Amino acid sequence: MQRRLLMAVQYLVYALIVVLMLFPLFWMVASSFKTPQELQALPPVWLPSSIDFSAYARAFSTVPFARSFLNSFVIAGGSTLGILITSIMAGYVFAKLHFRGRNQLFALVLSTMFLPPIVMLVPLYKIVQSLGLVDTLAGVMLPNIANAFGIFLMRQFIAGIPDELLESARLDGASEWTNLWRIVFPLLGPAIAALVVFAFTFHWNSFLWPLTVLQSPDQQTVVLALNRLVSYTSAIKFQNVVMAGAVISVLPNVLLFVFLQRYFIAGIAHTGSKG
Amino acid sequence: MTRRRTTPWPLILLSPGVGLLVLFVLLPILLTAWISLHTWSMYTPLSQMDYVGLANYRGLLNDRTFIRGLWNTLAYSGLSITLILPLAFFVGQLLYRGLIRGKSTLRAVVFLPYMIPTIAVAIIWGYLYAPLYGPLNQVLGWFGIAPRAWLGSVDQAMISLVIFNVWQTLGYYTVLMVAGLTQIPAVYFEAAVIDGANGWQQTWRITLPLLRRTLLFVVVIAMINSVQVFDPVYVLTQGGPASATTVLSYQVYKNAFEFGLAGKASSMAFVLFLVLVVAVAAVMRLLRDPTGES
Amino acid sequence: MRSKLSSLARVVVGAAVLALGAAYAQVTISYLTHWPPETVDLLSAAIDKYEAANPGVKIEVRAVPFGNLLSTLRSQATSPNGPTITGIYELWLPELVKSGIADAAPDAYSADVLANWPAGLVGSVSSDGTVYGYPNEVNLYALNYNKRLFAEAGIDGPPTTWEELIADAKKLTKRQGNTIVQQGFGLINSWPAGVVHPWLSFVYSNGGKFLDGTTATLDSPATEAVTELYHQLIFDDKVTDPAMGTANASTTGPYLQNFANGQTAMIVMANWWQSALRDSMGDAFDDIATAPIPVGPNGTDPHPVSYAWLTMVNSHATAEQRAAAWAFLEWLDGPTSGENGSSAMGDILSSMGIIPSRNSDVAAHSDELSSPFLQGYVSQLSNAIPFPTILGGEEISNALQQWLERVEFGQSSVADMTKNANKEIDEILERNY
Repeated sequence: MQRRLLMAVQYLVYALIVVLMLFPLFWMVASSFKTPQELQALPPVWLPSSIDFSAYARAFSTVPFARSFLNSFVIAGGSTLGILITSIMAGYVFAKLHFRGRNQLFALVLSTMFLPPIVMLVPLYKIVQSLGLVDTLAGVMLPNIANAFGIFLMRQFIAGIPDELLESARLDGASEWTNLWRIVFPLLGPAIAALVVFAFTFHWNSFLWPLTVLQSPDQQTVVLALNRLVSYTSAIKFQNVVMAGAVISVLPNVLLFVFLQRYFIAGIAHTGSKG
Repeated sequence: MTRRRTTPWPLILLSPGVGLLVLFVLLPILLTAWISLHTWSMYTPLSQMDYVGLANYRGLLNDRTFIRGLWNTLAYSGLSITLILPLAFFVGQLLYRGLIRGKSTLRAVVFLPYMIPTIAVAIIWGYLYAPLYGPLNQVLGWFGIAPRAWLGSVDQAMISLVIFNVWQTLGYYTVLMVAGLTQIPAVYFEAAVIDGANGWQQTWRITLPLLRRTLLFVVVIAMINSVQVFDPVYVLTQGGPASATTVLSYQVYKNAFEFGLAGKASSMAFVLFLVLVVAVAAVMRLLRDPTGES
Repeated sequence: MRSKLSSLARVVVGAAVLALGAAYAQVTISYLTHWPPETVDLLSAAIDKYEAANPGVKIEVRAVPFGNLLSTLRSQATSPNGPTITGIYELWLPELVKSGIADAAPDAYSADVLANWPAGLVGSVSSDGTVYGYPNEVNLYALNYNKRLFAEAGIDGPPTTWEELIADAKKLTKRQGNTIVQQGFGLINSWPAGVVHPWLSFVYSNGGKFLDGTTATLDSPATEAVTELYHQLIFDDKVTDPAMGTANASTTGPYLQNFANGQTAMIVMANWWQSALRDSMGDAFDDIATAPIPVGPNGTDPHPVSYAWLTMVNSHATAEQRAAAWAFLEWLDGPTSGENGSSAMGDILSSMGIIPSRNSDVAAHSDELSSPFLQGYVSQLSNAIPFPTILGGEEISNALQQWLERVEFGQSSVADMTKNANKEIDEILERNY
C-alpha cells in the first residue's frame, strides 16, 4: 500500500516535471501560429485559432535563415570534423604512448577546459583578424578545433582498449599511425558518436564567438540570424515572427536529439563517471 | 612486455591538437594579460598600444559597475548551483530508483532544453516573463498572486535569469547524477535494507557520501558554465535594470567592442579568470574526500 | 586571399575592357547600416537607380541590428574589406576621427554640406572645423501624452511647467493597493539614450547643463534639480514606477508597450518611435499628442536634446572606393535622387517617420512633417540643443545611465549620484582630453 502511494506520488512528480519542461516549448510553438490580434489580446491567449504559417514566411524573408542554416552547418560540421581528428590523434598519444612529461602535458591540456572563452575573446579576435579571417566561416572554425574536452573524452575511451592489441601489431612492425587508424579507430564508435553529437550541438548553439567574428548578414549562423530577427521586431504583434524564428533555430537540434540522444547521454555519463 | 621507444609519433600526432590549443588558448591568455597592462582602442594594431602598468586593475577597484558585475556573476553561479544540485539529485534518484515506468521519456524531456541554443531559450523566456503579455503573470493571477515585473525589477531580474538557466541545464546535470548513482554498488543498499534502514536513511547515509565525487564534479562544471553567462544578458537585459544583471562577460564585451577600452576589458577578463581559479580550488578543497581520494 | 582574387579579377576585367576600347574599372563599395529590412529595401531601390546611371560602381548593403552597429564598425573598420560607408551616430565621430578611420570630406562635398544643412548639423558632422560626412536624420525629444487619459482625468492640455507636470501626473496615476497600474509619468531604463536624453532635456529646459567645456557640472543646482525631480516623482509623489520602463535590446519593449496600452500617461521620447508606436497602437495612435518639454523653475524656454546620424567614409578604403563613396553620398543626399525635389535619403527617412535634416528635404516633406505627432517635434527644432559630441561620449552616457538608474531604483541618494557621477565623468574626460 505504501509502495502504491509512493508510486502515485512519483507519477505526479513525473507529470509536473514534464509540464514544467515542455511548457516554454509549447508556448514558443503555439505563439508562432498566433495572429497579431491574438498576440495583442489581454489576458494572453494560449492556443492560436488556426495553424498559420505566415509568421514563418515573414521570418525567412526578414533575415536570410536559409543561408544561415548552411553557415551553421558548415561551422558546426567543420569544427566537429576538425575536433574529431585532432582529439583522436592526441587522445591516442595521451592514452597509449609514453614520453617524458606526458602526464604533465595532459594535465595542462585539461586545465584549458576550465577557461571561460570570454577571457580570450579580444586577443583571439585580433589573431583571427591578423590571419585575414574576420567575417569568414573559417575564422569562426579555426579556434573551435582547439578542444581539450574532445582530447579528454578520446583519451578516456582509448585508455580502455587493451594494450595487447597494439603490442602485437607493433611486433609485426606496424607504426603508431597504422596502430591508431587500423586498430584503435574502428573501436571508437561510441566515443566518436558522443563527441560528434556534443561538438556539433555546442558549435551550432554557440553565440558569443560567432557574434564577434561574423558581421555580414549572409555569413551569419542561425543563432545570429535569430538575434537579428529579434532586433527588427519592435512591437508585440511581431512576436509570432520571433517565435517562428526560435522554432526554426531549435528544430535541427531537437531532431538530432530525438534520433541520437542515447549517444549524447552515454557520452556525458562517461565523462562524469571518471570524475 | 612494454618497450619504450623514442619515435616521432607522439610529436606528430599531438601537434595539431596541442598546437591549436597553444595558438588559440595559451597565446590568447598571455595576450590578455599583456593587453591588460595597456590602453588600446582596437582600432590600431597591437604594436601601438599605450603601456599603463597596473592602472587598469587599480581602476577596477573603484569601478562600481565592475564590482557589481563580479558580484552578480558569482551570485548567478551560486544561485544556479543551489537550485541545480538538489533538483538534479532528486530527478536523478527518480530516474535511477523510481518506481515509475517511462523513465527514458522522462530523461529525454528533462534533457531536451539543453540542446536548445541559449539565445533561443532567453528569447522564449523573455516572452514568458513579459509583464503584460506573458503567461507567467497570468498563471500567478489564477492563484491570486499579483503580477511581477520579473526582468524589469531590480530585485527579480537576476533570479529570473537563474530560473531559466536551471530549466535549460538541469538535464545535463541530472545525467551526471544518474551516472554517479549507477556507480554505487548495490551491496551497500542491500546491507542497509537488511539492517532495517528506510529510504531516507539510505539516502543520507549511503547515497550522498558515495556520490561525493559526482557532486563535486557537478558543482565545478556548473560553476565554470555559469560564470560564462553572456547570451541572456546580451539579448534580454543589457545588464539592467540598474546593473542588476550586469555580468563580467557582458562588461568585457561592452568595454572592448563598444567603448573601445580593450585594456580595461582585458583586465576584467583576467580578474574573472583568477576568481574562477580560486573558486574552483576552494570548492575542491571543501568537498575533498577526508580519506584523500579525490 | 579574397582580396588578392578580387584585385586579380579587377586587373583581368580592366585588361579585357581596355581591349574592347572602353577604359573603366568597376569599383565595389559597401554601405553598413542599422536599418530594418523594409527600410533597407528602400535603400536598395535607390542604389539600383544609381548603379543603372553609373555602371562603374557597385554598392552592397550590410545591415546589422543597432546593438551591433558600433561593435561591427569597431571590429571591421581597419579590415581590407571593411565597410566603405557607415551610417553612424554622431557621438561616435570624435573617436573615429582620432583613430584615423573617418575620411575627411573632399572640398566639393564639404562645400555641399555647408551650403545645404543648418549650422547645428554641420557641427554634428565636423571635428575641428573639418567636415567628415553627410548628416541624415535628426532626432529630438518631446513630451508624449495620451489625450484620452487626459480627458478622462479632466485635464485640458499638456503641462508646461514642473508644477503642472507633477499635478497632472498625480491626477493621472491609478493604483491597486500599493501597486501602480497606471503611471502618470513614465521613465525609461536599460538603454543609455532612453535614460540620459530625456533627463538632459529637462536639464536644458531648466537652464542647466551637464558639461562645461571638459568639466562635468552635474552638481550645479539647475542640473541637480532634475535628478531631485525624478526622485520626487518616484518616491514622494509616487506617480512613476521605474519597473514599467524597461527597454529591450532593440530599444523598444515594456516601456513602449505600457505607453501604447494606456498604462503610462506621459513620457518623454524621441520622434523616431512613431512607427513603433503606430505598429503597437493601430488606430489608438490618434490618442497620442506631443508637446514641448516642461520648463523648470530655473529655465525660461523648453530646450529638448537633439542628436543626429550621419554617413561617413572609411579612410582605410582605397582611393577609388572613397571617391566612389563620396560621389554616391552626394547623390543619395542630393535633390535629384528622390521624389519632388527631395533626396532619396529624405524619402527613406520620411517613410520611417524620421525627420530629415537637409534644408531642401525639410521643405519637400513639409506635409508629413506637419502631422500632429511630428509637429510637436518639428516646432522645437530651433530650440533643440545637440548632445555634446565629445570623445568618450558613449562611456559618459553609460556612466550617467548607471547612476540615474541607481537613483530611480532607490539604490543611491541624489547627492551621492551627483557627486559620484560627476567624478566618473570628469575621469573619463580627463582620459580623453
